[in-house]
Amino acid sequence: MILYQGNIFENHQQKHMLKTLRQDCYDTLANEESLSINEVIDACDKLAQQVKSGMYNDLILPLLEEFDIPYDYFLTHLPMFEKPSLLKKVEIELGKDYDAISDLDDENIKKRYPLGILFHIAAGNVDALPAYSVIEGLLAGNINILKLPSGDRGVSVKLLSELIKIEPKIKPYIYVFDVPSTEIETLKYFAEIADAIVVWGGDGAIKAARSMATVTTKIIEWGHKLSFAYATLDASDEDLEGLAHHMAMTDQVLCSSAQGIFVDTDSREELDKFAERYFNIFAEANKKHKPVPYGMKSKNALQLYYEELEAKDSKKKIWKKDGISVMTSDDSKLELSMMFRSIWIKMLPKNQIIHQLKPYKNHLQTVGLLTDNSQFEELKNILIKTGVTRITKGSDMSRIIVGESHDGVYPLTLYSRIVETYKYSEVN
Amino acid sequence: MKRRYVRKLFRTKKIYDFSKTDDLFIKAMRENAIHHYQNCEDYKRILDEAEFDPYQIKTMEDVINIPFLPTLYFKHHELFSKPLWKMPIKATSSGTSTGFRSKIAMSIGDLWRGFQMVRRIFSYHKLWSIRPVTYLIFGYQPTKHSQAGIMKTAYGFTYVAPAKKRVYGIRWTKTGYEVDLELIKQEMIKAAKKNSPIRTIGFPAYTYFLLKEMEAEGIKLQMPKGSKITLGGGWKQFYAEKVDKFEFYRLVKDVLGIDEENCVEFFGAVEHPILYTDCRNHHFHVPVYSRVIIRDPETFKPVKNGQIGLINLITPMVEGTPLLSVMTDDLGVLHEGCICGEKSPWLEIIGRVGIKDITTCAQGAEELLKE
Repeated sequence: MILYQGNIFENHQQKHMLKTLRQDCYDTLANEESLSINEVIDACDKLAQQVKSGMYNDLILPLLEEFDIPYDYFLTHLPMFEKPSLLKKVEIELGKDYDAISDLDDENIKKRYPLGILFHIAAGNVDALPAYSVIEGLLAGNINILKLPSGDRGVSVKLLSELIKIEPKIKPYIYVFDVPSTEIETLKYFAEIADAIVVWGGDGAIKAARSMATVTTKIIEWGHKLSFAYATLDASDEDLEGLAHHMAMTDQVLCSSAQGIFVDTDSREELDKFAERYFNIFAEANKKHKPVPYGMKSKNALQLYYEELEAKDSKKKIWKKDGISVMTSDDSKLELSMMFRSIWIKMLPKNQIIHQLKPYKNHLQTVGLLTDNSQFEELKNILIKTGVTRITKGSDMSRIIVGESHDGVYPLTLYSRIVETYKYSEVN
Repeated sequence: MKRRYVRKLFRTKKIYDFSKTDDLFIKAMRENAIHHYQNCEDYKRILDEAEFDPYQIKTMEDVINIPFLPTLYFKHHELFSKPLWKMPIKATSSGTSTGFRSKIAMSIGDLWRGFQMVRRIFSYHKLWSIRPVTYLIFGYQPTKHSQAGIMKTAYGFTYVAPAKKRVYGIRWTKTGYEVDLELIKQEMIKAAKKNSPIRTIGFPAYTYFLLKEMEAEGIKLQMPKGSKITLGGGWKQFYAEKVDKFEFYRLVKDVLGIDEENCVEFFGAVEHPILYTDCRNHHFHVPVYSRVIIRDPETFKPVKNGQIGLINLITPMVEGTPLLSVMTDDLGVLHEGCICGEKSPWLEIIGRVGIKDITTCAQGAEELLKE
């Protein structure tokens, strides 16, 4: 499906659309009237109200079901797209005077402008993400070309075309194509038109984007991240329980999901004692969540059985029950867990944190810090130096707060540029 | 040690007559277990750690309790129960996403048993023919560059009927292996105008994609009488496409003019070299040479027939590598009763464990880190 200036076309009409795309984008830029932030915010707000009223439930309910997201949870997050939240986001990211002209010095003024044209390469792991990426582009005032991920089920096109119905001014700012990743020439063409490529996804996607961009195209990367928990031996049961619920709910599949727990100790004995304590809390918390999907449970069961066969040499120790497991080992390596509630617990004394984790720098994201008041500041400061961008309670690792940064930076700032102009009258 | 019972088992004439071979099967399993226990240090350690005594295998219950080895174990360990120089076949599994391959060795005796098995199974399924055929192989051209087991199987299979010629879909070129399905398509078009039948060999997915393409191009052929489509390597690649087997047979009939009864599918694995062949109902009956146990992923206890679980494959066939009880990465169901008349249970393969195409951001990050 193609969405081109508010109209929906079939994929086989793509050739025709491509012929006019550059011209149409440039015409929009040439148009004196540009899209204002407030118009975009108002349109999003209206769309959010319609979603809230149940207008799109036939589209949204199956998605929630598939990702095991309770409807209530969804509703509590919907206000993120309402006016007060979007205004807050814009003000935090672009500053309170986001639309104002201000003096740079006596002879020069400065103002924020959109980059111009963004080419979004969206990832396929969250259904509405491609639409979200475009909305961020719109908020900064940009024209947006979107390449849908393979296997897209039409949610993004639906949401974006509804947005256009609400605010027809947005029409010439959205172009959605269903081009496969193998159609390199077309993607290069998009990249060549755009001021920046906004790429979401793993190594493959990011490498591909880098290879497509000419020197005149900027690349904005939202790559994959790893997150973990850090606990001192005296972490409270309550904190561990919060982390356990987080682990059971997110199944280690999000960038912000804890893959495992580093414990502030260099004693394997202490580590195993801690692991056993955590395992019992985890198993108890898990009872309140949906069971691990059958296929994933089976996959992990085989992997764990294999680890048990190797345990004599590998020195790994495993606790397992009801499809969840905890595994300790002698190393301090940050790694992906088996996911789906089979996690690792490793030793990492605080004086080793930077040495072990700094090499991962830009791939680190959230740390769930579980400790008492006296050590919080010290540990926080050490962890920040490794490159992480968020420190939360164990229970809150995947929480969403309006106005928070995305992997340590503000997207709207990246989608904008500051232009300085001399004051014409002063010079003459 | 004498291999009395294993030999006898592989001489069984009625290949799906399950009930009469239970006792023989158990004895052959004990024989095979003791052989590996005595000759493979790693295997001895595994049984000792599990406190399992191979000399005490007396019932089917004992066979079920033999510690199984997951295929993953063979990807990380080379287990051999005979000196390597005595083993003519060293096969590896086709690579998986982890990049590790199983290494399995087979002795001359293993090959002889394999040959007897294949001979009987092919006779039963009427696959032998003296008419020369053109083999169209959706797979690798054998070269010294690869030891993949599936390639050896495919090549071996080209002797079932005399080969007029062999055409490979994945050919060795100066720059490595390259897929060339167009060549197979052209051969099919040529073959339709001649008398000698064709036999295709290969993954269902490749065969399907090529036929689909030919259908889209409006190609409708009538292959010479006696032509067969043979498939191996599983339908795993199909899960995303959700292709129904019957849609596949329809396509074969429409594009090549070959009837459903001439579509034969095989199932097997490097770690379990028993040949499973589908009956006219397209069911994989378990032959007398092996047993299949479906296990609950949490307790590893066998589940009732008709219920889903992990597929554990059991056979005393191989003396080169301890493959007597292998746990696959597949989920499946064992069914009873089939209108083809065979009494032995049949195995339905549901698919690989894990959601294969899951895209998660954390996983991607790790892949990046490894580079």
